[in-house]
Amino acid sequence: MRPVPDDLSARLPPFLLDPREDYASVERRIARVAFDHPGWRGWWIAMTVAVGLLGVLAVSVGWLLIEGVGVWGNNIPVTWALDIVSYDWWIGIATGAFALSAASLLLGSAARSALSRIAETIAVMATVSAGIYPIIHLGRPWFFFWNLPYPNTLLLWPQFRSPLVWDAFDIVSFLGVAVSFWFVGMLPDLATLRDAAITRAREALRRAPAEARHEAPAQHGMAYVTAARLVRRAHLYGIAALGWRGSAAHWQRWAQCYRTVALFGLFTVVSLQTGAAVMYAGTVEPGWHDTMLPAEFVAGALLQGVAAVTAGAVVLRWCFGLDGLITPRHLSLLGGLMLALGLLDLYCHAASSFAVAIGTNSFEHQADARRLHGPHGWAFWGVLALAFAPVQLFWFRRCRIAPVMLLGVSLCVLAGCWCDHFVTIVDTLQHDFLPSSAQLYAIGIWGAATFLGSTGLVLSGLLLAVRYLPVLSILGTRYHLAPVGRRSNAPGPKEDGGDAPLWGVSAEFDQAGDAIAAATALRRQRLGRVDLYSPVPLSDAPDALALGSRPVWLIGIAAALLGGIGTFTMCAYATGIDYVFLIGGRPRFSWPSFVVPSLSFATVSGAVAMLLAMLVLNRLPRLNHPAFNIPGFEAATDDRFFVSVEADGDRFDPRAVEAALRMLAGRPISVARVPR
Amino acid sequence: MRPSRQLFGPGADAYLRLALLCGAGGLLLLLVTIGAVSRSAWFYGVGVAPEQPVPFSHKHHAGELGIDCRYCHISVEHAASPGLPPTWTCMTCHSQIWTTAPMLAPVRDSLANDEPLRWKRVNRLPDYVYFNHGIHIAKGVGCSSCHGEVDRMQLTFRAKAFTMSFCITCHRAPERFVRPASEVFDMRWQPGVEQLKQGAALVRANHIRSAAELTDCSICHR
Repeated sequence: MRPVPDDLSARLPPFLLDPREDYASVERRIARVAFDHPGWRGWWIAMTVAVGLLGVLAVSVGWLLIEGVGVWGNNIPVTWALDIVSYDWWIGIATGAFALSAASLLLGSAARSALSRIAETIAVMATVSAGIYPIIHLGRPWFFFWNLPYPNTLLLWPQFRSPLVWDAFDIVSFLGVAVSFWFVGMLPDLATLRDAAITRAREALRRAPAEARHEAPAQHGMAYVTAARLVRRAHLYGIAALGWRGSAAHWQRWAQCYRTVALFGLFTVVSLQTGAAVMYAGTVEPGWHDTMLPAEFVAGALLQGVAAVTAGAVVLRWCFGLDGLITPRHLSLLGGLMLALGLLDLYCHAASSFAVAIGTNSFEHQADARRLHGPHGWAFWGVLALAFAPVQLFWFRRCRIAPVMLLGVSLCVLAGCWCDHFVTIVDTLQHDFLPSSAQLYAIGIWGAATFLGSTGLVLSGLLLAVRYLPVLSILGTRYHLAPVGRRSNAPGPKEDGGDAPLWGVSAEFDQAGDAIAAATALRRQRLGRVDLYSPVPLSDAPDALALGSRPVWLIGIAAALLGGIGTFTMCAYATGIDYVFLIGGRPRFSWPSFVVPSLSFATVSGAVAMLLAMLVLNRLPRLNHPAFNIPGFEAATDDRFFVSVEADGDRFDPRAVEAALRMLAGRPISVARVPR
Repeated sequence: MRPSRQLFGPGADAYLRLALLCGAGGLLLLLVTIGAVSRSAWFYGVGVAPEQPVPFSHKHHAGELGIDCRYCHISVEHAASPGLPPTWTCMTCHSQIWTTAPMLAPVRDSLANDEPLRWKRVNRLPDYVYFNHGIHIAKGVGCSSCHGEVDRMQLTFRAKAFTMSFCITCHRAPERFVRPASEVFDMRWQPGVEQLKQGAALVRANHIRSAAELTDCSICHR
């Protein structure tokens, strides 16, 4: 038994979420950020800075397009400098953050709730920023599409035996996977915001007192304007949510889709990071030609990603008062992860330095010596001082749960990892085997401006996402809560639908268990098609509705195989048959170099196919659907569970359904006949 | 009747699907259009005769009168540039015939003022392409293979789009296009049924290099 520490503040609370939270409060806390914009002045200040930096990017890139890559200070032999350093850094953040979200989903980690949205948004924005670098560092950026295989009048193919073309495949694929993952995860949340906007619009109108219409028309007018604005927001969220209504069948396919895309994404991450590393390691340059490099790249990316998510989580928690949703347990986990990944990355670095030290290659010795006390020695010591030393604080729990400490260390780690990429690229390129190929490189003002500008691009994207999208995963956060809504004793609205032709009969429940029991009972009576609508996927729902297993993920696997085999065949055909070309003495069919683009394209094919299959099989988008006629259906994305029996078949009789509902132990809050 | 609770009207889905379809279709159409335009004769200015200082007719001079190509383009067999004739070349004949034709006034002015005629360039390659006429003639590539039947052009126009694929097609398989030395200046020459056999023999005889060497970047881009 460990002794209980005296200082109680250093102990972790036993809960992952504040125990006072429930389905509705989670929605309110998160939707509040999108609708009420707490701290909007701070947001505007941050946005002004971000847009200013974006302007810096526009000016730098504009000057670059006019003058050429020389403005960055790149020279021969340092042909890659801040451009590729920044690319590696951004894509490291992107892949690391993505991997954190995807791996925690597949491992069923409870802590992903508060972190997944932050991680996925960072992944998407950082990928966009990373993606511009390989384009603008080309001699003629406007011909960037020459990197892609497309039928052209030059009769040329990209050279698939060169690792440089991997980047084009990897970035496009990763962007596709990251956006798919982000969107799939956000779909139910967008529906929640849609319904929250409707509810808020109704409340705004109700708050305007009836007499005010005559006595204070201005006040009433304001309420009307507010409501109209909210309805417009509801329309936008509604279109983005594609008519999501949380039916049990939807959830079943959605869950498969989300997990499959996560799995594909992890493959993309490994393919991209190791591919980028092999681009260096495959050369004979001292400091690059190292089998440890791919492992180092993956470890570094994960460290960066976790650091970026930590910084984002701490800042959002502080700005929007999300302490109840991002709890010390989350913080402690992030701190622990940073420590573990920092040690792993340190081990990779130490192992490769050790291998060089005991080796006899004098060029490698020189490269390592140059890292330690060459002209860019600051970068090497920056890695140690900023990335590897500060994470050691997280051996102490007190540091792991202190938000200021987490923010400070994560920013240090990000800076340290930037130095790490600088060491890798510049220190090696600056001097290779020939005395003539040694040239000092100094960071140019335009190179620094471009990097600063790219942070503006990411920040403005993140700020927009914070402003308009669900800032944390509402769905993910609800996973930790018992599927029980607010107790309601008051009888709900009772409607009989008048004389309109009936679509079905619906029943509203405040507990998932009651809804499942009702669905099971109604299905057994075969009165019509039974469906269940819930704010979260219910594991018992497919059984209750006898949906079967319906393995949609097979479509994803098939598409991935097709995409992968297709890409491999294309590479083989191009380099082996159609575009025969002597390049570095490589064999015509040099299959190992086809693996990276094939794997990357396989994952994006699988991810996009999975997303489309989920939508098409769920008959989405479907903005107008009879289910939305159910009274109070907005709560189906909040904290209510609806069971509907659709008028399908001869045995349907609304009175029989209502009678069956009265027989249940868990009585519905309300029952309604729903017009078509 | 009760007011509808639906956020979107019954027609919304039709509009959304139409929008998605238009978006996807529009993107596809855009790509197809770019592909088609970038391959079109219009894009490369094929078949367009630029207005020249003198409406010189290859049809009349090379076709009807039968003047040899090399009479004017004197360095075509030996140099990178085929050579554009100086006014003196025109004057070999036109000091004797059509000496007062108004159409030829610019030619006479050019001679009198010692200023060259400013012809508009018809066939153009980018600066980064190092093309040599001499080697092509020597290895058996005929004029008409690239320039078309110039002796039938009333006004000179670009006969082929000089895309990279145009060059590469021949560099990959020269045996499909090369002709005997005697036929190089023949504007009517067409590959016959025996071309592949005859071409392969010519490739051997003229020591034309392998496709792998001919498609090396530095063959054309140095």
